[in-house]
Amino acid sequence: MNAPFAGKRGESAFARLCDELRPDLFRFAFWLARDRDVAEDVVQEALLRAWRSRESLAEGAAVKPWLLTIVRREHARLYERKRFVTVQVDELVGSESPELGVAEDQEVLNVRRAIFALEDDYREPLVMQVLLGHSTDEIAVELGLTRGAVLTRLFRARQKLRQMLGLPGGEEE
Amino acid sequence: MDCVEFRREAGADPGHLGPEATAHRDACPACAESLRRTLELDEKIFAALTVPAPSRARSGRAAVSLDPDDLRRREASQPGRVIRFPVIERRRWMALAASIVGGVMVGSLLWIGGPRASLARDVVEHMGHEPGAMVATASAADPAEVEAVLERAGVRLQSGIGIVSYASTCPFRGEKVPHLVVQTTAGPMTVMVLRHDRTAEPMEFDEGGYAGTIVPAGPGSIAVIGHAPAADLEQVAGQVRSAIQWK
Repeated sequence: MNAPFAGKRGESAFARLCDELRPDLFRFAFWLARDRDVAEDVVQEALLRAWRSRESLAEGAAVKPWLLTIVRREHARLYERKRFVTVQVDELVGSESPELGVAEDQEVLNVRRAIFALEDDYREPLVMQVLLGHSTDEIAVELGLTRGAVLTRLFRARQKLRQMLGLPGGEEE
Repeated sequence: MDCVEFRREAGADPGHLGPEATAHRDACPACAESLRRTLELDEKIFAALTVPAPSRARSGRAAVSLDPDDLRRREASQPGRVIRFPVIERRRWMALAASIVGGVMVGSLLWIGGPRASLARDVVEHMGHEPGAMVATASAADPAEVEAVLERAGVRLQSGIGIVSYASTCPFRGEKVPHLVVQTTAGPMTVMVLRHDRTAEPMEFDEGGYAGTIVPAGPGSIAVIGHAPAADLEQVAGQVRSAIQWK
């Protein structure tokens, strides 16, 4: 089997690739958990799991989706192990670390708050599509949904955001 | 397709309209306006989702070591257990940073020797997201749509680059980039305009069933990917580079 990450050279290549992908992995974990500290923990655990299994990867091009899947599973595991305190979204946003509480402009911050308030079922496919560039079929496979269900969630996610932001088109169904 | 069907499709995946939806958009100004608003919303969503990622050396929090030697030691000492990455104490940071820099330099030398540069890898990976786009066809995409895709990235074409059969704005490495498919005598080729990914010199790669080249252009680079000989890819890359005006 072709194992691009076997051996010392493969190890260095894998570590470098993980380092480059870390921002995307963190953002994905952040939007799953809506908590910076939890996201960092999830990424740490996920990277270590990935490191241990790196030789099972047959293709270098598959690293990113593979890592994102590991991040998602690690988040689910962490969630199973730990019961998080439920807080109101306004409180959550208000207690964020400084860099999250301040965006380039108020509009971006408003959209960020609205995305925070989306239910997981709507937020996750939206993040996968808009941030990570996944196709509908890829999202369907990852989430174990039908293609139609993914499209419905994506449509409703945007509708809900429009409604929360008071944008035109939020009433369209 | 009627307006309700169009808005459902465009509201779910506005960046990838099917042929029926595209035809409806062209025939219905109200739905075209609705799509424009949805794409505008998506740009805001993308900006909002792009939260700052922590740096490795951020103080007050455990930093993650991706140094292979360190990882190998931990793997050997605790096989099969899920463990945390090492917390790097501040006073050790400089020494460790030096070792990481050394490791990266060695890795980079090895990397340069092979075709699997990470930018090339990401470009090839991105091809997997839109497998249906790179098909041979005589149909050109709507010139206004091509212009809009380029405009969003702050570029425009000063001259033609042949038949552009597909144009989309795609997320790539945290940015939105134009993804075009150009029909050439050597077959369809994907062109990605990578304003934010600078490469010092032209790079060729052959990976994942694709051949490609990435050339420096303007403030960033241009990637051309296809199933054609390197000379054809380079020729198209040169044409695109000459035709593009960076704003």
